[in-house]
Amino acid sequence: MTIASTTQQICFFLLTATIVSGALGVVLLSNIVYSAFLLGGVFMGVAGLYLLLNASFVAAAQILVYVGAVNVLILFAIMLVNKKEDLKPIKGLQYRKILSGIVCIGLFILLVRVDLSTPWSIPGPAAIGEESTIRIGEHLFTDYLLPFELASVLLLMAMIGAIVLARRDTIKAQYSIEKDNQSEIINESKTPVLIDQKSIKN
Amino acid sequence: MPILMNTGIDIELSFNNALQGLGFSKSFAHMLWLPLPMLVVLTAALIGVLATVWLERKISAAAQQRVGPEYAGALGLLQPMADGLKLLVKEDIIPAKADKVLFTLGPILVVIPVVLSWLIVPFGQNLLISNVGIGIFLWIALSSIQPIGLLMSGYASNNKYSLLGGLRAAAQSISYEIPLALSVLAVVMMSNSLSTIDIVNQQNGAGIFSWNIWRQPIGFIIFWICALAECERLPFDLPEAEEELVAGYQTEYAGMKFALFYLGSYINLVLSALLVSILYLGGWGFPVPVEWIASLFKQSIDQAFIQVITASIGIVMTILKTYLLVFLAILLRWTTPRVRIDQLLDLGWKFLLPISLVNLLFTAALKLSFPIAFGG
Amino acid sequence: MVDTLSQMLNFLNKVSEYTREAISAGNYLLQGLSVTFDHMRRRPVTVQYPYEKLIPSERYRGRIHYEFDKCIACEVCVRVCPINLPVVDWVMNKETKKKELRNYSIDFGVCIFCGNCVEYCPTNCLSMTEEYELATFDRHSLNYDNVALGRLPTSVTTDPSVQPLRELAYLPKGAMDPHEINPAEARAGKLTSEIVDWMKNNSNQNSTKNKTKDSDKQGD
Repeated sequence: MTIASTTQQICFFLLTATIVSGALGVVLLSNIVYSAFLLGGVFMGVAGLYLLLNASFVAAAQILVYVGAVNVLILFAIMLVNKKEDLKPIKGLQYRKILSGIVCIGLFILLVRVDLSTPWSIPGPAAIGEESTIRIGEHLFTDYLLPFELASVLLLMAMIGAIVLARRDTIKAQYSIEKDNQSEIINESKTPVLIDQKSIKN
Repeated sequence: MPILMNTGIDIELSFNNALQGLGFSKSFAHMLWLPLPMLVVLTAALIGVLATVWLERKISAAAQQRVGPEYAGALGLLQPMADGLKLLVKEDIIPAKADKVLFTLGPILVVIPVVLSWLIVPFGQNLLISNVGIGIFLWIALSSIQPIGLLMSGYASNNKYSLLGGLRAAAQSISYEIPLALSVLAVVMMSNSLSTIDIVNQQNGAGIFSWNIWRQPIGFIIFWICALAECERLPFDLPEAEEELVAGYQTEYAGMKFALFYLGSYINLVLSALLVSILYLGGWGFPVPVEWIASLFKQSIDQAFIQVITASIGIVMTILKTYLLVFLAILLRWTTPRVRIDQLLDLGWKFLLPISLVNLLFTAALKLSFPIAFGG
Repeated sequence: MVDTLSQMLNFLNKVSEYTREAISAGNYLLQGLSVTFDHMRRRPVTVQYPYEKLIPSERYRGRIHYEFDKCIACEVCVRVCPINLPVVDWVMNKETKKKELRNYSIDFGVCIFCGNCVEYCPTNCLSMTEEYELATFDRHSLNYDNVALGRLPTSVTTDPSVQPLRELAYLPKGAMDPHEINPAEARAGKLTSEIVDWMKNNSNQNSTKNKTKDSDKQGD
């Protein structure tokens, strides 16, 4: 066994341990901020796995998109809202926990079965390494053009939706012409969400 | 370090040959070689930071008609060292109600990506740690980790100023990343490669006239503005605006943890200046190509001593260009007032983003119509 | 057709206006940068304080000097003081029917150096010095008694360990830097004594009276 392959194996086990424990932490920790930070750690671990597979472009894209954008936005949302409130105890929490545990274990067993029954072709096709950037570009603009464009349209829709939700003044201008019984709902939506509305009424 | 072209010296090869000549095995020589470039570049980065801190203090003093540090060493050259030593021996304070783990992890997460980005900075044809294929994209990806560290330290300090500073830093960072990446993309499109080596090589055909700044003047300005915003330097230093937020996310930090933030911001500044010089100012290239000078004196470019001279000129040129930009950043610091947060986001989203998109489209059009000048 | 054309023109106008604004903003930025750059070649205005000191101006209001022997304990200084600060400790000697001064003190931690006491003192036993280095470890040591008040300060010009520098207003005409001037060179404009001489020559009918007495001396 050469030094390179040993290093690779150690890295693989370290990354896997990070990902599994991090993912468990995301689900099980009660502090939502910790969960969000651990999620970032999991994303970075996944990027590390890509690196081990010689897919450096995918790894960098993973970090840029998931860690740099998605996770930061999640953290942003958590910290901007950052409202401490005591949740009501849910009825039959124990049973729910057991039920979801059973479902999760079932899914896990399914995965293990797939893992064991699939005839993996080890050691797989040779990694294309540096050339992957060009290949990905080619695929995105030829055979995967439709999914690519659909994803971009989806993102555009989400963006427009977010803008419409955030800019309430445009909604108000439209609805005020109709003057129907919806005005009450619109008024309610105009009050800031972050202020505790109960305390205002009292 | 793969050998890309025959020009330039390959230190790795000569190092390995020397060790093998001493009777070591090839893999052992390779293992000995591996950490060396990293150590050299890390030292270079730290010395660069010390020089930048000294320059910052001296140039700031000159711009304000002061003297600046004077008594620590000749001309106060040892002042940054003294600062570092002071921060090293200061008490490490963690506020009682702070989140201890995240409080410690925050500054580390800020520094590591910045230091890692030095991986792709070339000082010459073969003088870089690793010519990774994704090159400049690695830097963009790594610099997007930084806001998480800032958010973490802002949240963990349990202080409203810290939290606001962290949020501002993250907002600023993610909104300026996009125009930054788009202006880099225009350069990458012209050089057909993400690798920093290829980007510089593509600019060194005709000396100063083939530098990217003539082909990408708008991209250069956008990149420089965004780089300043990413480094949180004035006029974009709102995350640590002392008049409103005490010191932003650094408020509760002292000693070595504060030093990490300080170090990180200055390494980032030097790195940004280096990348501007690589992307737009021809990297290690001399204003007149060295090949021309060599042919003027009828010398072969492959001669050993000419290669040594070429490599030294490359390093000197890179450092010279970088520090010219650092000087510009310091001058800007004492010229421009701080922008408001809404102005900052307006500038990022409403001005730089559309302009960089237009710049990208324009570059693509030019590349299609003039493939000779814009890298077909 | 015309409508779309005008719309397009409108759009183009907007774009050109936007560009013009951006260019002018860049222009202003460059102007600012050139100003900052210009400042870099100017000599520092810094006074390297413990080694160099500015010579206080001629009517500088520093720590108050007090001559115990001249004082008649009239307490005018206390009455004109905005906060009645000087403490005049005297007793009536019944035999001589005169005030006997025992102690006099001023607390410089409270004094605002307005100079009213100096102005009104009938015997000129109070005067302003040019001493301004009053820092102490304890604010109570700023309460000067008559012995402390009677000490003369070290003058900046006579202190061998200090390089005295002239203030900007006392430099010769055209000079901006106190480091490189000839100490013999007089300051810009007329000296006080010269003004007095000029006034004497100009208006002989008025010269019999005052004006010469209080402005007797000046130094750079």
